Amino acid sequence: MTNLILLPILVPLLAGIILIFFTKNIHLQRWLSGISSLATVVVSAFVLLKVRQDGIQTLALSSWEAPFGITLVSDMLSALLVFMASIISFACLIYSFRSIGEQRERFYYYSIFQFLLVGVNGAFTTGDIFNLFVFFEVMLMSSYVLLVLGGTKIQLRESIKYILVNIISSALFVVAVGYLYSIVGTLNMAHISQRVSEINQPGIITVIAVLFLIVFGLKGAIFPLFFWLPGSYNAPPAPVMAIFGALLTKVGIYSIMRTFTLLFPHDTGYTHQILSVMAILTIITGAIGAIAYWDIKKIIIYNIIVAVGVIAFGISVMSYDSLAGSVFYLIHDMNIKAALFLLVGIMIKITGTSNLRKISGLIAHYPGLGWTYFLAALTVAGIPPLSGFIGKVILVRSGFEEGHYWGAAIVLMSSLLVLFSVMKIFINGFWGEPKDYPEGKKVPVNQLMIAPVLLVIFAIFYGLGIEAVQPYISQAAETLSNPDIYINAVLKE
Amino acid sequence: MSLLHLAIISPLLLALLVPIFYRYFRQIHTGWFLLPLPILLFIYFLQFISHTKNGEVITETAPWIPSFGVDFAVRIDGLGLLFALLITGIGSLVVLYSVYYLSKEHEKLNTFYIYLLLFMTAMLGVVLSDNLIVLYAFWELTSFSSFLLIGYWYHRERSRYGAQKSMIITVLGGLSMLGGILLLHIMTGTFNISEIILQSGDIVNHVLFIPAMLCFLLGAFTKSAQFPFHIWLPDAMEAPTPVSAYLHSATMVKAGIYLVARMTPVFAHDGIWIWLVAGFGIVTLFWGSFSAVKQTDLKGILAFSTVSQLGMIMSLLGIGAAALHYPQLDDSFYTVATTAAVFHLVNHATFKGSLFMVAGIIDHETGTRDIRRLGGLMNFMPITFTLAIIGTFSMAGIPPFNGFLSKEMFFTGMVRVLEMDIFNLETWGFLFPVIAWIASVFTFIYSMVLLFKTFTGKHQPDKLPKTPHEAPIGLLISPIILASLVIVFGFFPNILSHNIISPAMESILPGLLVEGQAFDVHIYFWHGFTVELFMTIGVIALGTLLYFTYPKWSRVYGIFTERFSLNRAYDSLIENSQTGSYNFTKTYMNGSIRTYLVYIFSFFVFILSVSLVAKNAFVYDTSNVSQIRIYEIIIVLIMAIASVTILFAKSRLTAIILLGAVGYSVALFFVVFRAPDLALTQLVIETVSVALFLLCFYHLPKKRHEERMSFKLTNLLISIAVGAVFTLIALSAHSSKFFEPISQYYVENTYEKAAGKNMVNVILVDFRGFDTLFEICVLGIAALGIYAMIKLRMTRGKEG
Repeated sequence: MTNLILLPILVPLLAGIILIFFTKNIHLQRWLSGISSLATVVVSAFVLLKVRQDGIQTLALSSWEAPFGITLVSDMLSALLVFMASIISFACLIYSFRSIGEQRERFYYYSIFQFLLVGVNGAFTTGDIFNLFVFFEVMLMSSYVLLVLGGTKIQLRESIKYILVNIISSALFVVAVGYLYSIVGTLNMAHISQRVSEINQPGIITVIAVLFLIVFGLKGAIFPLFFWLPGSYNAPPAPVMAIFGALLTKVGIYSIMRTFTLLFPHDTGYTHQILSVMAILTIITGAIGAIAYWDIKKIIIYNIIVAVGVIAFGISVMSYDSLAGSVFYLIHDMNIKAALFLLVGIMIKITGTSNLRKISGLIAHYPGLGWTYFLAALTVAGIPPLSGFIGKVILVRSGFEEGHYWGAAIVLMSSLLVLFSVMKIFINGFWGEPKDYPEGKKVPVNQLMIAPVLLVIFAIFYGLGIEAVQPYISQAAETLSNPDIYINAVLKE
Repeated sequence: MSLLHLAIISPLLLALLVPIFYRYFRQIHTGWFLLPLPILLFIYFLQFISHTKNGEVITETAPWIPSFGVDFAVRIDGLGLLFALLITGIGSLVVLYSVYYLSKEHEKLNTFYIYLLLFMTAMLGVVLSDNLIVLYAFWELTSFSSFLLIGYWYHRERSRYGAQKSMIITVLGGLSMLGGILLLHIMTGTFNISEIILQSGDIVNHVLFIPAMLCFLLGAFTKSAQFPFHIWLPDAMEAPTPVSAYLHSATMVKAGIYLVARMTPVFAHDGIWIWLVAGFGIVTLFWGSFSAVKQTDLKGILAFSTVSQLGMIMSLLGIGAAALHYPQLDDSFYTVATTAAVFHLVNHATFKGSLFMVAGIIDHETGTRDIRRLGGLMNFMPITFTLAIIGTFSMAGIPPFNGFLSKEMFFTGMVRVLEMDIFNLETWGFLFPVIAWIASVFTFIYSMVLLFKTFTGKHQPDKLPKTPHEAPIGLLISPIILASLVIVFGFFPNILSHNIISPAMESILPGLLVEGQAFDVHIYFWHGFTVELFMTIGVIALGTLLYFTYPKWSRVYGIFTERFSLNRAYDSLIENSQTGSYNFTKTYMNGSIRTYLVYIFSFFVFILSVSLVAKNAFVYDTSNVSQIRIYEIIIVLIMAIASVTILFAKSRLTAIILLGAVGYSVALFFVVFRAPDLALTQLVIETVSVALFLLCFYHLPKKRHEERMSFKLTNLLISIAVGAVFTLIALSAHSSKFFEPISQYYVENTYEKAAGKNMVNVILVDFRGFDTLFEICVLGIAALGIYAMIKLRMTRGKEG
């Protein structure tokens, strides 16, 4: 029992509230949000170390013991994801300082930014299925605001679609929780897990599991539920796009990972088979989308979908190794997608367009940008020894081992299409004859480069130093593959 | 971390210093700073010969990811050492050559040398790693350094095209190889090649054995430019010539050869391996030499010639592996093919390296590589001409050069296929010597084209961008050294046989030797009047004839028009996959939210109804249900009618009132179900929202722009189905209550522990106060958002 795990939610919450009162003073806003983001990184690092040392941490809020009150549970998976989310939001925040523009800063940008992190960290940490819904709402409401903030035509248009789809999925979420409560009579996830396994997951629970898959599949952008994503992620400015791409879909994926390992693991022949098919189709449609476009934002956006499919595939295989692979990959992908979006944002800033056919020869004037992008591109394609590699290797191997030959082969070969799509940007955008752009010869990008460079460095260390990360991941995978660890930690304090 | 590891990564470390050399020592060509390293490495690796000669193997391990069995294990044996010497030896000469080839004033030498050093590390890593994952990592690094070097002149369209092509094809192979590595790991539980080889006998019947083999072969064939994957190599010639000489003829393209040689002990137990390796090799040999003849670019000829020679080595490795199935024959009857493979590997590096450098010199001094514009250069460039004679004659297999020796052994190996009676080689095996001979004829022709079209005939000064003259001595040193080696190895091949060839063969065919034994390799010119000799004489005779009658039969090439070429296939694959993907994605991503909702709800209905049926999940149990009263039915009817009417409401006001009706009915339900506080809340919310709506509408324009939606039956059906599915699941969920709900706890403890009298309130603010806190937070965010949305209207400007 420790209050520590509440801090990654509390710090941004308080910061967000305080920031509301200082909209006029932009410098103060930047400082405050920067400090609070950094503080969130620090406390989440402490949580991580604590969980590594002492195992799963729980906190019964208001001291109403589980399953009656709301329990926060930080297992290794939660702790890792909270840590990553904090780092990435910090990076996106630094980037925002130089790019988001005063107008947005005056209208609560930093405040909402913090609230988004509240929602994300809360969703990763909560151990209560209804509370998960609440944090989803915090996160979604913040994302609506961030999406629409600025009020340009494209933003308004895409916001409507985004909000509609998400309201529907939220409604489904509540309904699904209601159904589940009717049957098992509880909301605490550990308790649900226990009760579901007591009655050995009857058919109706499996149906509800599929309903949950639809709910989270909508958030996580799995085939055939991702249609809302490419348009709406295309609308907001780069740092918002980065944080959406890096965090929001991952919360959906996390929820699938959680529910399908903890709550509904007893009929894998059915539920996980569905997930497997959906995952593979997600990879395929995502990869097709990624190679289809000559718009640099769209290319990266479709790559999100590919990665979601890869992670979902690991969940569907449902072996210790495949789950470990998924966790490896999940963390890697959060990091590198943020980096790619920020880099693409810089390209757009320089050229004033996202149309790849109008961009060329950038490397002549911006070698640093070019090589950072090159490394990020190799990372996202899973080229060793960068960070995407090991997760993919473990995933593919476990897929082969468990007899999912086609799925594993598709995961493997999707790398080629991913590589093709991101290198298309390098070959055509960075190579070629340098062009003149409306912004003039040289746009100062050094300060914007800080965040993506940090993220890419992280990717390099995450790949090379995988041995140091490995104990964390295996601890996470252990809990995922053995729900009893989680149940015991929550219910038998 | 040992000295050996350091040797492998030393080029990478030096690469980090290149920017410093380039920036602060602009006066000195950056290449000079690099040159000592490959020379030192070459000397360092030379000293291992004394070990490998005696069959010793040196291993060093540095941990990387021990928990997954991935360690940076380095292993020096005969095969690895041979490659290491090639990489560092040719590397030294290429760096020297590049100093004179690339101008320090006009070229971005820093990037060039960083790429080159990157490649050197990568290639050394490939051939010296014992761990397959590490090998794969270096393998991809070679692909990408090659990619960067091909795209070195990135403003040229062709360079970018060639770079992308080579990347796609070699990475495809690399990924496939990775798949093979993982399959091997599943079978053997290790990534270490030497341990896998020990288990090779056990896995041969494993169901994953053949898939793993095919995966590896795809990797090897793409990298070593085997037909039909060879198409990237000619386009890779866009790289600066030193790169072509180094990567795309002497070293990187031989990585596939290396892989096949290395994995022979694992996979050659199956006849499929022998057929595939030898088969693809021999076809590549033929196709490469056949295509080389029609090329007009010097480097184009050399590229296809490299393809063809790689095919030849590949086929020799395939045939040589058959020796594993004849352990009783110890007089090197079948192993001669393997000997030839290793020997030719070395020879090819020498003569092809010098020829590439010659081509570079011609390009450098005349400004063109087009043989239609060249001619009569022997008077201007006598030294270059001499070098070209040595290189081309060796390539064509003419004595006394080293190419003749290995070509003879190649014929020997192919002819002996006729004697094999395993894996159905007795059926179509005779094709091997036949194709080999035909291909050699073409090899002879293009060698002669290369030599005579360039150096003899009519000089055409008006067609040359520059006035030709002999190259500076600096450019000539490297090819002179290589050409001398061609001659030295031609006259004294046995320098190599015990030091290099025999230890390398031990690595490829380890099972054939008993402890302490070595392959007895003797190479000599004169075998008597054998079949091979007559084959060579035939090649020269027919080749000469065809060379002079080329205009008469050149129409053959017309049969294979551009339309059907592999390049065309590749281009249209790339193009069509992009446009096809675009069209495909456009069809379902039409930007209309209605369409997306139709997809989502269709999927919803489909998957949930299937699940309900498949899991037999529908339960309906009325035992615990109270009587339905008449006013409940009335409320439901009101709600249903109001909801449906909203859809058809003409004015806003009607719609709002109907919406209110639905909300108030819900409140009534709460009343009926004895939840007065909820009913109260609901009433307040409804009243406020209706009032707010009305208030807002006052400010909206009077006319309502309305696009009449046409009635869509499918959408109606989907919505009915959605409702039905919801209802069915709700009924089932309600009918299968397995547990006492936790709410009982709240009933018992609201007063006792929470000291509250209203249970709903206590749940909201105490038991689940955390939820409420964040619901409030959501409202706050919404308020901020709406305020910001109204106030802040940016025009669509620059985003970034």
